[in-house]
Amino acid sequence: MNDNLLPTTTVGSFGKPDYLTKARAQAARGKLSPTELEELERKATAEWIRRQEDIGLDVLVDGEMYRGDMVAYFAERLEGFKIGGLVRSYGNRYYHKPVIAGKVSRPNPMTVSWFEYAQSLTSKPVKGMLTGPYTLLDWSYNEAYPTRRDAVLALAEIVRDEARDLERAGAKYIQIDEPAIHARPEEIEIAIEAMGIVTAGLSAKTISHICYGDFAAIYPQVLELPVDQLDLAMANYGYRWLDLFDRNPFTKELAIGIVDVHAHETETVEVAAEGIRKGLRYVPAGKLWPHPDCGLKTRTVEECVEKCVAVVEATKIVRKELAKVPA
Amino acid sequence: MTIKTTVIGAYPKIGDGPDAQELRRALHRRDRGEITDAELRKVFDDVTRATIGEIEAAGVDTVNDGQVRWDDLLAPFARSWSGVEQGPLERFYDNNTYYRQPVITGPITTDGQSLVRDYAFAKGVATARLKAGVPGPLTFATLTARDDQYRSIEERTLAAADAIAKEIAGLAAAGARLIDIEDPAVVAAPKYIELAREAYARLADAGHALALVTYFFPPDAVLESLASFPVGVIGIDVRSRDTTAFDRLDAFRTQHILLGVVDARNTRLETADEVARYAERALKLVPQERLVLATTTSLEYLPRDVARAKLTALVEGARLVAGEKVPA
Repeated sequence: MNDNLLPTTTVGSFGKPDYLTKARAQAARGKLSPTELEELERKATAEWIRRQEDIGLDVLVDGEMYRGDMVAYFAERLEGFKIGGLVRSYGNRYYHKPVIAGKVSRPNPMTVSWFEYAQSLTSKPVKGMLTGPYTLLDWSYNEAYPTRRDAVLALAEIVRDEARDLERAGAKYIQIDEPAIHARPEEIEIAIEAMGIVTAGLSAKTISHICYGDFAAIYPQVLELPVDQLDLAMANYGYRWLDLFDRNPFTKELAIGIVDVHAHETETVEVAAEGIRKGLRYVPAGKLWPHPDCGLKTRTVEECVEKCVAVVEATKIVRKELAKVPA
Repeated sequence: MTIKTTVIGAYPKIGDGPDAQELRRALHRRDRGEITDAELRKVFDDVTRATIGEIEAAGVDTVNDGQVRWDDLLAPFARSWSGVEQGPLERFYDNNTYYRQPVITGPITTDGQSLVRDYAFAKGVATARLKAGVPGPLTFATLTARDDQYRSIEERTLAAADAIAKEIAGLAAAGARLIDIEDPAVVAAPKYIELAREAYARLADAGHALALVTYFFPPDAVLESLASFPVGVIGIDVRSRDTTAFDRLDAFRTQHILLGVVDARNTRLETADEVARYAERALKLVPQERLVLATTTSLEYLPRDVARAKLTALVEGARLVAGEKVPA
């Protein structure tokens, strides 16, 4: 059995433990100091690193214990952004949608110290996790830049600087998520141009996570996105995006979502394994990365563990099958 | 006479202050089993009453109930119709807002009463002219995740139209005189425009003042087609994206136009002057009695304080519009 085949990973976020959820609420009301909150965020990060090792995942994440929303976290640390009021995303879930109110700039690195801390806890590689420029724009209100492209390109320079800092800090994998990339398929060229700015000159493996939208509308053009690996939700879609690869072969590494993250119940290991087998019809085992469909932050810690275990156990089954086939 | 104003779709369900988040708290408590469905319904009623009050206080002429009870445009129907279930989450067009995709498991049927209780409640509260709202058949059909019943998009769209027609009849019997049919798919998927026309013929049989409300995308590809749809009102967004619609509004010879002039998807606040200028541009081609100023889409894409400010801009802009430009 070759461990380099079907490396397992996750998309980025995990559920926060109850003590951290409570602490964040207290901190928001000024009843807990930032230092006390950070202490708990570090504790929760360490717990998630240990859990990922115990589960047997190959490439780890810091779990984003210190982030609420994947756009607001950056917006809060960038000049030019204002944090807007609450907007509903679905059901009873709300987020603070940022406002681009002026020219954007990055006073300080935003994720590097968390990456360094998480990496110091494990000998396995930890991914650096960023939100891509197109998504930063699309999930914010733009009051400042004359066009969406102007805003995206300005944000690309910021994400590029952060990615370079992560690489200098030792990140071997840098994930730049673009879940909004298919929001307006006619703008895919802007997203590609911006990602080119971000990843130019990086030697780390680059990854982009894309989810919840009409992937067919941007395929195969999305293959021009200058990253090494695309990370796609598949289980939630019944793997229908794979059919697109019949006509236009998939040319990158594929991180394949094999468990749905928006259901409380976890797929059986056998169902998840079948997802990997489907992926193997299009992408060789050395380039296929099993993982959950999306970030797991909306799930409880226990549900997160269950879903990650399903990914790892399913992968073991398929690795064994591959080992039986003579090379 | 001042030009009329209206809202479209959903209004923000909560605000930013703790005293404006009772619905969010109540839903959490319901999920934890701490309050009953009846107690939750009372909170929905209270928030609906406050929402209608807020829209009326801004001076809007034709109000709705803010769709406070709706998780998304399709949810009330996916829940109440037989043959339909709520499926996986998906992004709602190009918004960072999600909806449950309908899954069709059998023939779609409804008693047409899905919204009647809510409409009756709103009617008891509103002092301004009140309208109802339903999703459009093409939007319902194109946003469906899986269909085990109908063999084609055509069959599915017409089946949805029949169900929506029943809801319209139910609302009309409850006293609704104006009903918005929110159908962004008509402009998002213009290739289905003739299918949509066939579906609307079935809705028109319901025989009431119907408004086909489009949003998110410019109506350019279908504008002249919409002018021959069997509805009394057409809603189009002329604000949030580039469109040639302004130069072609004379295509609408009899229909009223809901002109989306206040961008409900960006916090940048229009001035009353900007609103008035949009209206005056439209008045070159449409007489004032057939023009109504509106938000571009649901204000729920904005924080509540911004939504309120947008309504104020809308109403103040309407009051600035000078006189009638086109003879009736």
